[in-house]
Amino acid sequence: MNKLKEKIMQVVFAMCACASILSVALICLFMLTGGVPAMLEIGIGNFLGGTSWKPLEGLFGILPMIIGSVYVTAGALIIGVPIGLLCAVFLARFCPKKAYKVIKPAVELLAGIPSIVYGFFGLVVIVPFLRDTIGAGKSVLAASIILGIMVLPTIISVSESAIRAVPDSYYEGALALGATKERSIFRAVLPAARSGIMAGVVLGIGRVIGETMAVVMVAGNQAIIPGGITEGVRTLTANVVLEMAYAEGRHQEALIATAVVLFVFILMINLCFSLIKRKGGDK
Amino acid sequence: MRKSIKTTAVMALAASMTVGMMTGCGDSSSVADKNITVVSREDGSGTRSAFAELMGIMVDEVDKKITTAELTNSTSVMTTSVEGNDAAIGYVSLGSLSDTVKAVSVDGVEPTVENIKAGKYKVSRPFNIATKDDLSEIASDFVDFLLSDEGQKIITDEGYISTESGTSYTATKLSGTVTLAGSTSVAPVMEVLAEEYMSLNPDITVEIQQSGSSAGMTSTIQGACDIGMASRDVKESEMAEGLTQTTIAMDGIAVIINKDNEVKDLTSEQIMKIYLGEITKWSDVTKK
Repeated sequence: MNKLKEKIMQVVFAMCACASILSVALICLFMLTGGVPAMLEIGIGNFLGGTSWKPLEGLFGILPMIIGSVYVTAGALIIGVPIGLLCAVFLARFCPKKAYKVIKPAVELLAGIPSIVYGFFGLVVIVPFLRDTIGAGKSVLAASIILGIMVLPTIISVSESAIRAVPDSYYEGALALGATKERSIFRAVLPAARSGIMAGVVLGIGRVIGETMAVVMVAGNQAIIPGGITEGVRTLTANVVLEMAYAEGRHQEALIATAVVLFVFILMINLCFSLIKRKGGDK
Repeated sequence: MRKSIKTTAVMALAASMTVGMMTGCGDSSSVADKNITVVSREDGSGTRSAFAELMGIMVDEVDKKITTAELTNSTSVMTTSVEGNDAAIGYVSLGSLSDTVKAVSVDGVEPTVENIKAGKYKVSRPFNIATKDDLSEIASDFVDFLLSDEGQKIITDEGYISTESGTSYTATKLSGTVTLAGSTSVAPVMEVLAEEYMSLNPDITVEIQQSGSSAGMTSTIQGACDIGMASRDVKESEMAEGLTQTTIAMDGIAVIINKDNEVKDLTSEQIMKIYLGEITKWSDVTKK
């Protein structure tokens, strides 16, 4: 009897494990069958390298969106990584206990805010602010700022635990050699935590590049390659969500193909993440 | 201990300063000197294509709108964008117009229900249904419902403009299915109408397929559905295939600008030029 129970439960657990694998497999299958034929018909060169996106005229070039995604991601990292990293150092090494009790939950709360709220905040606060100060409005900059804030919790929590994981002997050793507190942290502890911090940044990239709602609201969404950070931009995710509701036929297939490109980006990022983690584990 | 309080205080101050800076009033330089921020809807949107067609932005079936226009895929983001930018211009369906933005007159005609009914306001489009002569009994009963006082009241409640009516609808004892196909702009109000109709006639099912106006007309001609929906006039070529057009409602498109903008009236030519990128400054609109 007990053995039977054991067997049944084993099957139940195995099925639960398979559910997630099955979902991933089904999504891959759907994306590839839905997107790849369209990509081939349009021509991979025309699709990935084309600079004109005019679906109603049969022009499906997503280069502006690929570049847009890259710009926005780079911008978000330029804003988010220094702030996040310094915040993590502060939390792990300098922060008084009382302040930690306030800051840590605040950072965690930041992670829990829905992206539509970030988008709305960007639309009614950041965009008018940028317009009044530098005349940018909905732009690469606005999207980068919002995404830079959104990426903070990921970078801060992962980096903080990486810094905390560095053995105290590194820090104490540096102090014993006569280094100041700051020097010990930035020259001895941070390099030792490098792979963990990199993992946090890569996870952050994944979050930024896949973000949709917040970006659509603040980026302007022009399907042209932006000439500067004050100009509007459309990301891959925005391209899909903007037009999916009305698209039909080839247009819809092209949007699925856009999602395939995004999917490949995410796969590459996850691969990087695993590589960095493995390298970190080898030491 | 004291140090921690100080740190917290400094941080709180910094945070409040940042917020203050961001929400602080912008400079009140004149709108007229500013570049116009053109806001439009995404490719394929029914409102966008109707607007483009009515304003002459559509040339040879191709939308010539400037590529630097900001795009949004929802009416609410459109409204918020215009509300927060004193140099912006955009357009929304009259049913979704909110009082946080200003709707301008087009060629001197205000966008009101009366003006649209009288055919004076130019930027309006009909919501049509197309039927063939051999309409089934149930389908023709559904059409009667659409045109009755009950049906037209729903249309008004949903923010669209009813056509004249005066008949009242009584439920039949029929049972079966009515299929509609076509415009994604007409479909939302049609869904509400169908729901009401099905609650009056529990034995009848109304199916609505959203496929775009042209596809809806083709399906009706081929007999794949009973009634086609179009957010434009039925073309003569389609009439020749045996379709009859009935207008069930009108929808106006309001051209909206920021409340701080002093412009009250635009000609349709000016709107066209703004969307084509030929007029880029508000001062070009205000000076005659």
